[in-house]
Amino acid sequence: MATDYVSPFDDRVRAVEPLAPRPASVAGRRVVLLDIRKNRGAEFLDRMETLLQAAGAVTARAAKEIFSKPAALGLIDEIAGRADLVVEALAD
Amino acid sequence: MRTDPRHAGPAPALSVRGTGLDEMTIASLTAGGCALLVFVSEECPTSAMALRRLGPLCPAWAEAGLTAVAVFEDPLEVAVRVSRRLGWAGQVAAEDPPVETSRAYQLVSVPTAVLIDQEGRIAGRVTGWDQPALAALIGAAAALLRTRLDVPAATEPLHKPGCSSKAAIDPELVAAMSGAVGADEAEEMFERGWTDGLPVVPPTAERVEAMLGGADGGVSLGLVPPAMGEATLARVAACAVLAGCRPAYFPVVVAAARAALDPAFNLHGQAVTTQPAGQLVVVNGPVREAIGLNSGMGALGPGFRANLTIGRALRLLVTLTGGAMPGTLDRSTLGQMGKVGFCIAEDEEVSPWEPFHVERGFAAGQSVVTVIGSDAPQSISDHRSRTPEDLAYVLAWAAASTWSTNWWPLAEPSVFVICPEHAEMFRGAGWTKQRLREFMFEAVHKPAGQLRRGETTPFVHAADPAAQVPKWASPDAIVLLVAGGEAGRYSAVLGPCTGMGSQIVSREVESRWPLTT
Repeated sequence: MATDYVSPFDDRVRAVEPLAPRPASVAGRRVVLLDIRKNRGAEFLDRMETLLQAAGAVTARAAKEIFSKPAALGLIDEIAGRADLVVEALAD
Repeated sequence: MRTDPRHAGPAPALSVRGTGLDEMTIASLTAGGCALLVFVSEECPTSAMALRRLGPLCPAWAEAGLTAVAVFEDPLEVAVRVSRRLGWAGQVAAEDPPVETSRAYQLVSVPTAVLIDQEGRIAGRVTGWDQPALAALIGAAAALLRTRLDVPAATEPLHKPGCSSKAAIDPELVAAMSGAVGADEAEEMFERGWTDGLPVVPPTAERVEAMLGGADGGVSLGLVPPAMGEATLARVAACAVLAGCRPAYFPVVVAAARAALDPAFNLHGQAVTTQPAGQLVVVNGPVREAIGLNSGMGALGPGFRANLTIGRALRLLVTLTGGAMPGTLDRSTLGQMGKVGFCIAEDEEVSPWEPFHVERGFAAGQSVVTVIGSDAPQSISDHRSRTPEDLAYVLAWAAASTWSTNWWPLAEPSVFVICPEHAEMFRGAGWTKQRLREFMFEAVHKPAGQLRRGETTPFVHAADPAAQVPKWASPDAIVLLVAGGEAGRYSAVLGPCTGMGSQIVSREVESRWPLTT
């Protein structure tokens, strides 16, 4: 018999989250570029936005309150309501 | 496709543990279409290859109605860790010895893939890695689902034999091989991933019950970031057992956990940052003496079980329940040894000042735990100062390079641990804590022009080059504690965790035990 242990893990949250399906093209897609407010992240997103627009995407910008905390649920809902795709940029 | 007629018919029931809340059954897996059971084992290289090659296909399969499950002949913790490492994006399940499910499916070797149709019947199986056969098996699933499914790429090797399934081995031998019989509990803890890299005390049900001291293990203290595992008291107690705590320490561990889970502390940011920051635990009040916390000689170092295990218990909660294991969700570039666990107590009896918790609004008779996001300690030697002004100057300037040489001012707190001999000099001169704090704040200023090299702050960039910039945004960012041996003139400063908006958070140690809420 195996010994009866109490696990420190919460196995409910340890399942691997599958990635969402990736689109073949961004043309015509609504893409929100999310600035996490880390240093120089906006510069990176500016460049990404230019490239995405050149590829036919319709872009918009959003920003987190602070990089070190998860995005507010309201912001996530708001982005989900107006975006097909999201680009989130790390920076420094 | 090699369909063995002996294995056609209703799929045997599953006796596995999944990662979800609900029991995993054939009916639940085929509720939305077909299921693909991929039996694997951690020690089998062919299983690893199968997981790596099939894993990325799972999300699209799931969308099309084919639910893929990796069924490990290993403990669930091992299954989750291996799946994550190999990029398996399907569901994960595990079976304990004697692997009854593998036996029911008459497995000979792993990997073995078994396709189950919408009626819960076995529709095909492939043994070992056999790319053409697997492509045909997925093709059969696609036909059943009347859709198109991606198949694994035809890259070498197309064929690779698997390893013996534990179902093909005598059950007693399986039990002996699994190590789950307590033959080497310490090693089993490592296999389960229930460790910070050091040996742990196995959290048996009896030990956890003793740690809880009658408290309800189902009581939740909240969600532990970053993975948001729920900190039930049972899991907190399991972490305390693993860390080596005595049950008498548990109320302090619980208070530390409550403080660390306060959103104002922003444990989420601290847990995942590339910074080295750890969670410093400071204990004040009568509980220090009651449980043997050391605030004297070697107060920041080894030698005392209560200090070492309480801090470690909190860190294990963050890394195990919260999922912030270094190298996974914890992205700290270098880390520091304080991240193993760092719990200190203030020597209130030696201190010339009001205790830290009293400064924070508690009564002297209350036992209080305070958590502070902080860097590793840097020692400050001063055996020569003969005035409080000189000593305060030396202490303050030691912090000038904390965080980064020219990053001024710091909004977040720096923690100074003042040794008794240094504290005595301030007592003798009649300096209050506030006077020392304000002197230190005023002492450390530089012209902005001298701080414009390499990394610096927007504040410095915007300031007039001659403007005097302080190291700290205010005197309140200087935290003063007293601890250490009676001899020796070494104090220390712990730099901050910055940019997180992390506040210092205190919680009273619960004296009404057992906890019910």
